[in-house]
Amino acid sequence: MALRTTEVVPAGEHPRARPPARQAARRPARGRDQGRNLFGYALLAPQMVGFLAIGVVALVWVVWLSLNHVNVLAGTQEFVGLANYTRILSDPNMATVLPNTFFFVCVLSIAGTIVALLLALMLNQALRGINIYRSIIFIPALVTMVAWSLVWSFIVQPEGLLDAVLAFLGLDPLPWLRGGWLTLSVFAFIQLTKNVGINVMIFLGALQAVPQELIEAARIDGAGRMRVVRSVVVPQISPAILMVFMLMIVGSFKVFEVVLILTEGGPGVQSSVLSFEIYKQAFKLNDVGYASALSVLLFALILLLTTAIWQVRKRVVFHEAD
Amino acid sequence: MRRTNPRTLASRGLSYLLLSAVALVSLGPILWMVSASFKSPNEILRYPPTIIPENFKWENYQQVFELQPFAQQFLNSVYIMALVAVLTILLSVPAGYALARVRPVAAGVIFLVLLSAMFIPPEATIIPLFQMASTLGWIDTHYPLVIFTAVLTTAPIATFVMRQAFLTLPAEFEEAATIDGATRLRTMLQIYFPLARPSLASVTVLACWYSWNQFLEPLIYVRSPEMLTVPVALTRYEDAFAGPLWGVQMAATTLSVIPVLLVFFFAQRHVVSGLTAGGLKS
Repeated sequence: MALRTTEVVPAGEHPRARPPARQAARRPARGRDQGRNLFGYALLAPQMVGFLAIGVVALVWVVWLSLNHVNVLAGTQEFVGLANYTRILSDPNMATVLPNTFFFVCVLSIAGTIVALLLALMLNQALRGINIYRSIIFIPALVTMVAWSLVWSFIVQPEGLLDAVLAFLGLDPLPWLRGGWLTLSVFAFIQLTKNVGINVMIFLGALQAVPQELIEAARIDGAGRMRVVRSVVVPQISPAILMVFMLMIVGSFKVFEVVLILTEGGPGVQSSVLSFEIYKQAFKLNDVGYASALSVLLFALILLLTTAIWQVRKRVVFHEAD
Repeated sequence: MRRTNPRTLASRGLSYLLLSAVALVSLGPILWMVSASFKSPNEILRYPPTIIPENFKWENYQQVFELQPFAQQFLNSVYIMALVAVLTILLSVPAGYALARVRPVAAGVIFLVLLSAMFIPPEATIIPLFQMASTLGWIDTHYPLVIFTAVLTTAPIATFVMRQAFLTLPAEFEEAATIDGATRLRTMLQIYFPLARPSLASVTVLACWYSWNQFLEPLIYVRSPEMLTVPVALTRYEDAFAGPLWGVQMAATTLSVIPVLLVFFFAQRHVVSGLTAGGLKS
């Protein structure tokens, strides 16, 4: 590159028209550069045009709908400003639905991550037949959520399998699906067992990438098993932990099938969540404006939570110097 | 190393015990489903329940196909899944390559836009998408299930995965190819695409899995029974009084699980890497 300054300037080209040497070193010459951009945009175009034409338009559209009162049957639409949003605040049902939604977000993200991590640590041992256990724990992840919910609806129905187990233990049957914390816990359990396999696999992959020397070094320094996990393994796989945690947060807003199939949100809205209310308001009760306001709220909540977690990641996540 | 002291023996025992309990929760419901699929309505509701059916009722499986066009619905799910996978690959592989290797001027911004797409839940845009589909005359067709799903959900995630894949491939190939006089297009098609095959397999599995599991979308876009996909069809086994036909439903559910398990046992590695690909960091 030192030769650059003494390079012969081609005839007809002004010396100062050339880009500075440093930039020239980083990027190819100008004519080529434009070809490069053109090529890049051509490759990106189908995905970007599709995404802008459908996704961004839909997002803007749902915000606009949320400011309107829509009468589907009469085919009319009337601008009402923030009325749908103030209605969320005064809707007594929302006083149940929103806490329910947050219950799933908290329980599924925290319990989901911890359970998956513990299972992955257990499955990472060199035990006989461990591969069979790995496969079994992964199986529910493959079954569709509808199938999983249907089977469970069968198990938790009144006088179902679970009540039979209780009777066997000499206990009275429990009102599994009649609302309240018990029903929410049942839903959380069904949702968690369905997806825990994927998270276990992510953790297993991360655990197998932890350098064995680090663990041995800690052992030689006299660290016990728990201490090795806490001080060596967990910091090493913290990027995977963060990833699973974020996936679980986004996923926990999508608790839907289990609600629809087991209780339809009932009794009343006692076992309902935001995603189910959106579906119900828009497609069962034809209240499109209100449902749109709930959609915007759902999107805002996810954006807020994921951004907040992304912001704190630098303090929590251990990065290997690379 | 084969020396086993009582402490490691006890911890091994505890591991097996806990893992078996978890395995029971994972596999138990599926075994229960298979068992119920052979039971008569009376036996299903018997209390306390039986595990092995008294007399196997194969009619449940026959009724699966008689009460609904289940074979057609199954075919719908399969071909929608295949189309979603193809469209996802067509959109995401070039885009991922552009973001990782070509890097046009606005690549950073475009990448951020696509990344944010991964966090838009389908539930949040289902209302305008329904209106869009209805304007285009796409209600009760499979267009929204293929096009909306691929463009909005699977392709952005796949682009992210493919970008990571192309980033890990060395840039030297590109320089060597340029020196040899290969065009950009040829370098991409003949050198980088073949090298990214493992990620391509992952992305395909991811798209198939997502499409096969979709429930809310077909529930909303599709009306007629012969256009339905499997997950929604499973919820439609009802008697004349809208009571669930448990035995038939469980038979249909069992049938819906079989192909997935077959794929899993024959392509375990790809399935697992496909489902976890999005979660692994660069």
